[in-house]
Amino acid sequence: MSIDSYRFLDFASRQVMKAWAARQERSVIPFTLLTRPLRECTIALVSTAGIARNDDQPFDQERERRDPWWGDPSFRVIPLGTREQDVRLYHMHIDPRFGQADLDVVLPMRRLTELAHEGIVGQPAPRHYSIMGYILEPTVLVEETAPAIAEQMRLDGVDAAALVPA
Amino acid sequence: MIPDLTRAVGVPRLAGISYPMGRPLGRPHDADGQRAVLRSVVELLAAASAPDTYVELPFVWPESPAQARNASKDLPAPPIVELLTRKPWLLASLYTGRIPNEVSAA
Repeated sequence: MSIDSYRFLDFASRQVMKAWAARQERSVIPFTLLTRPLRECTIALVSTAGIARNDDQPFDQERERRDPWWGDPSFRVIPLGTREQDVRLYHMHIDPRFGQADLDVVLPMRRLTELAHEGIVGQPAPRHYSIMGYILEPTVLVEETAPAIAEQMRLDGVDAAALVPA
Repeated sequence: MIPDLTRAVGVPRLAGISYPMGRPLGRPHDADGQRAVLRSVVELLAAASAPDTYVELPFVWPESPAQARNASKDLPAPPIVELLTRKPWLLASLYTGRIPNEVSAA
């Protein structure tokens, strides 16, 4: 691959992530073809920036401070139309100020709406999602959080989801 | 942004982009740039016909890695970095993924 995955990382983070990539065991990758043309699809977004609405429960930064090996494995719903001033980014391993200044940097709901108006996609889902990107031990994320998000997407008639790492 | 790692985990479709962490869609208030990135991503949904489809997006970040990092150097270090600065021998756990499961390890 010609993209250098590590060029923006400091030396230590680079070494750690290379080690993780090399250690990862290969398994069967699920795949589903789109069942309708993209221009008719309802699309949902999932950001790993740890975004929570101000009227929702924050991601648990205190527990991570007490136990830095732990990351909050829960998720938050971000309804379409949510604005920067309605949310906070709780991810402590990225600079939250860019997404806080312009939420579309990490959760591009307005850009998705524009693509729907252009006829590229059908429509944005009514609900989008955020999880915490820093989770070293992903069992709860994989076994509980992801299926719970998928179930809500099914209820909203979502055809496809884009995971947006932060 | 770290397509190497995402690919190793195994995802149905992956669009790699050479942008810094925290800014996956691009710079704040650059709506045209953000929309171009997102359009490439959603078009991959239709274009891919098999798992592990990987495309590299051609977008170029307008700053050097050092400039991109400098923009965030005033932030406090994440808790794990503070911990490993105090107890560097624990770095081995981070490399190997053998994560201590007790707060006492902190």
